[in-house]
Amino acid sequence: MSKYQSFIGLEIHIHLLTASKVFCDCASRFGDEPNTNVCPVCMGYPGVLPALNEEAMFMSYLVGKALNCTPAESAIFDRKNYFYPDMTKNYQISQFHSPVGTGGWFDIDVEGQVKRVRIHDIHLEEDAGKMIHSASGSLLDYNRAGTALLEIVTEPDLTTGEDAEAFLQQFRSLVRYLGVCDGNMEEGSLRCDGNISVNLTGKGLGTKTEIKNVNSSKFLRLALNHEIRRQKKLLERGEKVVQETRLWDEASARTESMRSKESAHDYRYFPEPDLPPFRPDEAFLSRVDGAMTELPLARRTRFVEELGLKAVQAELLTEEKSTADYFEAVVALGSEPQNAAAWITGDVQKYLKRREEEIASSSLSPERLATLIRLVDENRINRNGAREVLEAVLEEDRDPESIVAERGLEQEDNSEELAALVDKIAAENPQAVEQLKNGDMKPIGFFVGQIMRASGGKADPQAVQALIRDRFGL
Amino acid sequence: MKNTRTNAIPASWRGMLDDPRRAAAHRSYVDEWEKKINSFVQIDPRPGNGEGALAGVPYGVKDNIAVKGLGLSCGSKILEGFISPYTATAVERLEATGARVYGKCNLDEFGMGSSCENSVHGASSNPWDPARVPGGSSGGSAAAVAAGLVPFALGSDTGGSVRQPASFCGVYGLKPTYGAVSRYGLVAYASSLESIGILAGDVDTCRQVFDSIKGEDPKDQTSVPWEDRSGESSSRRIAVLEDLSDLSPGVDAVYRKSLEGFREIGWEIVPVRLKTLDYVVPAYYTIATAEASANLARYTGIRYGYRAEGEDHADMVRNTRSEGFGHEVKLRILLGTYVLRSGFQDQYYGRAQRIRTLIGDEFSKVFQGAEMLLMPTFPVAAFPHGESGMDAFQQKLADKFTAAANLAGIPGLSIPAGMDGNVPVGMQLLAPAFCEERLFSAAREFLSVYEPARCPGFKEPS
Repeated sequence: MSKYQSFIGLEIHIHLLTASKVFCDCASRFGDEPNTNVCPVCMGYPGVLPALNEEAMFMSYLVGKALNCTPAESAIFDRKNYFYPDMTKNYQISQFHSPVGTGGWFDIDVEGQVKRVRIHDIHLEEDAGKMIHSASGSLLDYNRAGTALLEIVTEPDLTTGEDAEAFLQQFRSLVRYLGVCDGNMEEGSLRCDGNISVNLTGKGLGTKTEIKNVNSSKFLRLALNHEIRRQKKLLERGEKVVQETRLWDEASARTESMRSKESAHDYRYFPEPDLPPFRPDEAFLSRVDGAMTELPLARRTRFVEELGLKAVQAELLTEEKSTADYFEAVVALGSEPQNAAAWITGDVQKYLKRREEEIASSSLSPERLATLIRLVDENRINRNGAREVLEAVLEEDRDPESIVAERGLEQEDNSEELAALVDKIAAENPQAVEQLKNGDMKPIGFFVGQIMRASGGKADPQAVQALIRDRFGL
Repeated sequence: MKNTRTNAIPASWRGMLDDPRRAAAHRSYVDEWEKKINSFVQIDPRPGNGEGALAGVPYGVKDNIAVKGLGLSCGSKILEGFISPYTATAVERLEATGARVYGKCNLDEFGMGSSCENSVHGASSNPWDPARVPGGSSGGSAAAVAAGLVPFALGSDTGGSVRQPASFCGVYGLKPTYGAVSRYGLVAYASSLESIGILAGDVDTCRQVFDSIKGEDPKDQTSVPWEDRSGESSSRRIAVLEDLSDLSPGVDAVYRKSLEGFREIGWEIVPVRLKTLDYVVPAYYTIATAEASANLARYTGIRYGYRAEGEDHADMVRNTRSEGFGHEVKLRILLGTYVLRSGFQDQYYGRAQRIRTLIGDEFSKVFQGAEMLLMPTFPVAAFPHGESGMDAFQQKLADKFTAAANLAGIPGLSIPAGMDGNVPVGMQLLAPAFCEERLFSAAREFLSVYEPARCPGFKEPS
């Protein structure tokens, strides 16, 4: 047993993909001209009141269900009081006493091992605006103010940076599956803070530090591992860990102190008097149930166990729901699962990447891919022909059958014609024939190549090879 | 004396603002009065649609209720220069009846006070005796109605801010059931306690205005669909408080007389005790200031209103709030911050909420044995301006009769019930939630035993 134990808990914020903000009708959209998606309500003007967006509540309960939380029978909003220039009311409407969901868990796969991470709670709140600092002063853009933010708080069940990285990646995949968040960390629609403490094994939680605003899962791993090493060193030297907020500095690959506990806020939470408690009725809850979908880890396991896929393939296919759905559609159309998986994770992925296209929105419908796979399976086209067809389908948005017909890619299986070709090439290349007769197999490739060329690529290479072996009694 | 108060808005008000000659004549009447009572902070009649039951009827709006294009000062320097970009739901609903906003009425800063002396626009005065206060915080609205400048005005009532000035100025003042009228557009002081209320010269006008503005509003999720729960008045039992101390002799006399008056018109008097009454003021101030400390955090000088100079952002905000808020507002923000601070919430805020529940329960019990409850609105009649009047602390203690209804969320109607020397005294009728109709009909009945007078110099528009 190692001397030290580390405890990591995460706080993840996700922007919900609601059409409008959480307490008003303004568009929940970023990147627009600053201060265009604003109204008296999200600007916190005197006399306005919040009106809860039910869609945000729906998505929150859906995430709660996916994370096995107990859903609140009565979700209550609270005011969290603190001053900040980009927070319009200087209190944030959040949840404290009775959040949307409590006491759940999320199973993650860390290097083939399933690890259960407990979820403390998930709660809905409004986001603040954005400050832009310029030479002439600080500017404020309130387009983001009042957008729906769901915070997921885990228990300190993770132990390494690798755990946290896996959690974040698989959580990102989960929220994309549920369609509640686009998971884009660079644009800030998924943000993560990490709480970390190190202590002597068996002594429980130590003094924690918090790492704020890490914008990729890789940096989260690096920052947490750095912090574990830093805290261990402090403890080794008999020094104390100071409870504080630290930032990850990419350039120096270290964490640095941002603010200490002395400046911690007293949020003075109290129930938001402008919003009555939200009590989901049965219709609401059954709508949540109906929107529930098979989650990435379960799907991955099923692909391996029931469809016989390799773990790596299953992982690739299930990372995005659209890809997994696509794969299952192709299988449903009759393609053999491992074959379909090989196509999708192989050639299809390669061509899509080159064209910067998504599989779901490309012109390669599951029907077209299934057709293509069938043409190969039935030996009507060869592998090279198939690649040509694949590219043409993506390029021209047409069916594989018509492309094959138009380009004359159908394989010849006329063995008489092929036999004549073999004779012709043998006559032209006596030396190669001699080699073959002496047991040197090298010229086979040469023969196949020559015949393929002569047939205009329509010959089935395997058939050609068989024919050659047959012809020279090999 | 001819009974002038039983009918809804006199015909002479109708279409008045649509007739330039009558509007101008009325304007000079208003200007004369304003020199004495300072009830409006801005007079700027809004355009009307010319149609509806109240077409062309002017009305006043307390200056903490939003009207697009007009100021929204809340009586505070901190909102200096602010023009509202939107209109409150209650005002929109009145616009739909054809009524037209005449101007914005003076108030105690952010609705905090009982004298209407605590305003950046200067004190308002009582039309019955300008040496006295009109009451607060909707003092401007009450004074304007009492002087006949408008037939009605909107106010707001957080702990008695409609009923107390109504009592001081001899008009009707309704604090509706919590949630019956949308608060959208009412600048928040204590969200869970306050309602938009009505000040009117006669009871039927009050009723008509209430009818126009009540009902659910999607912009205020604490508002509820209107459902009259008055029922058939069969019992005719009215509860009265058994042991009332702390009343001035004048108010005490009016209370006894009103009680006799109700007996005279066939009501059975049921004496009750409200054991929680002594806890009303501490519970009220704990909850109200806690909510106020959050509600008033948005005034920072960053986006609107008054902005002070400062070295940096924090300094600018500090200076803006120091210079922009008055003493009473600062006191309540500090108090609210104190009662909500970490580790003390249960001791103060939590306990106040439990008292609040008990008060509600006690009212429910009273209403099991009686249709209504009669109480004084305020322990004294309108007091003089300045230091010879009540001090701020005495004013707070005196809120116990009114604030109880805010804690319980029930409706209260203050009606003119007598005189104390040269100033009027009001009594309030309280009923269960959504039983406003009981209050209106009792007030109408009471006119047969007490016919309120108009203040000296009052003139109906011609």
